[in-house]
Amino acid sequence: MDVAIIDYYANHGTSFLHKAKAVSKIVFTALVIASIILTNEFYMLLGIYIALVTIAVWTKLPVSRIISIAAYPAIFALIFAFAVWNGSWVKAGVIMLKALSAALTMVLLIVTTPYPDMFNVLRPFLPRVIAEGLFVTYRSVFILLELTDELIKGLKVRGGLTRRKYLKNIKNFSSGIGLLLVKGFDYSEKFYGMMNIRGYGGRITTQGAKTSINRNDVLAISIGLLIFVITISTIIDKRFLEFGVYIMACSVVALVMSSIYQQFQN
Amino acid sequence: MSHLHIPDGVLPGWLVMTGWLLTALILAFSIYRTRSTELKRKVPLIGIISALMIVCMTIPIVPIAYHINLSVIAGIILGPAVAFISIFIVDLIIAMFGHGGITVVGLNTVVIGAEAFIGFYLFQLFLVIIGRDSIMWSSGLAAVIALIISTSILVGVVYMSQINPEIVIGIEGDHPTEVTSEANIPDQLTKGINIKSFAKTILILLGIGWLLEGIITAFVIKYVSRVRPDLILPQRT
Repeated sequence: MDVAIIDYYANHGTSFLHKAKAVSKIVFTALVIASIILTNEFYMLLGIYIALVTIAVWTKLPVSRIISIAAYPAIFALIFAFAVWNGSWVKAGVIMLKALSAALTMVLLIVTTPYPDMFNVLRPFLPRVIAEGLFVTYRSVFILLELTDELIKGLKVRGGLTRRKYLKNIKNFSSGIGLLLVKGFDYSEKFYGMMNIRGYGGRITTQGAKTSINRNDVLAISIGLLIFVITISTIIDKRFLEFGVYIMACSVVALVMSSIYQQFQN
Repeated sequence: MSHLHIPDGVLPGWLVMTGWLLTALILAFSIYRTRSTELKRKVPLIGIISALMIVCMTIPIVPIAYHINLSVIAGIILGPAVAFISIFIVDLIIAMFGHGGITVVGLNTVVIGAEAFIGFYLFQLFLVIIGRDSIMWSSGLAAVIALIISTSILVGVVYMSQINPEIVIGIEGDHPTEVTSEANIPDQLTKGINIKSFAKTILILLGIGWLLEGIITAFVIKYVSRVRPDLILPQRT
């Protein structure tokens, strides 16, 4: 979970997804995740996953890095997959693909959308303390990441983290976390003071960019809608399931063509 | 990884919705409880503790995705009500990073929130039983027991996913058997889970995590109690 890299990608990308509005990308994400949840068809899920990798290629960001960030839930899914194992790999594969596809959808959203834009969309649906907590948390993460980096370097330099001295390492590491907590608490007091000086009265005001819907928004929503409609079709009429392999094949072709095009562009 | 994040699409819809409902109710209660205190003053503190939890999740302890989550420490420092708000924020943000399902943020918050709630009250209890001088043991034991209970809740959730909700709420009548036998119904995905095998796997995997989290919680609380005892003991009880 590399927060700093994700934030960098979100703020420095130039793809159509970066240019689309946060609300359009949230609609895209909701449609794709609904599709992933609704279908239990292996080829359909594999098709969706490959389609998402294709979209990752379109973002012009390092695809392998994005896939590896989104691969973390595989560890959790593996435990569920192991528990349903009955000699058939299909059910276990379905669980793995569901977790991986849903995570990749979310990662695609987060690597193409700066956090203030996303939290602004969520703000009307959340209680004030949570909405503001989200902003302050995300801001604080970067301050603490810097402090953690310094702390770990300091521990290593002073021999606080040495090989084969596990208990000593854990003790020193824990004290380091304690120090972060105390520093963080002091920081929160200062932060509150600074917010008060700037006129904070219990509400953080933010202003999202007010732009009209453009072709990037239409494209993002259309892709999500296409995936959703195909998924629903396979659920309503089982005869569409026969096309599952073809859907997957189309996704593979799209991925290969997109990758080649991207290579030429570079 | 002292706890397990449930991925998307694995559990049935009724259980996912129950998780959201429970989380919404607990959040409403928590916000109501903290309303009496100065909530605007709490926002920076919630932000810092949530950020610390996220940062600690980015530090791997041993190379099989183990990480600490500090939920019990959050409970001890913030109190159970504010800690629940903080844990919801953490779960929402990490779900955006694909770490745990976005649709199961409700259930994941209930499971991890239980750690903070149980950890806080066990810590207070152990302080009374063992004595205030044994703050390290009290916090460590509280963390281990809270994690064991939260894992049991998780196993219970997975077990419940195999139960037909209509049986649970007492609806009887014409059940279209051909529908329930369809393979393409999401609710059927967890039907084949071998609950014993699932419980054994996570007990083996998470057991080491509980111990690590317990030891780290004990040392962190010991350090904080020496440097800033006001953060732990006086009014917070």
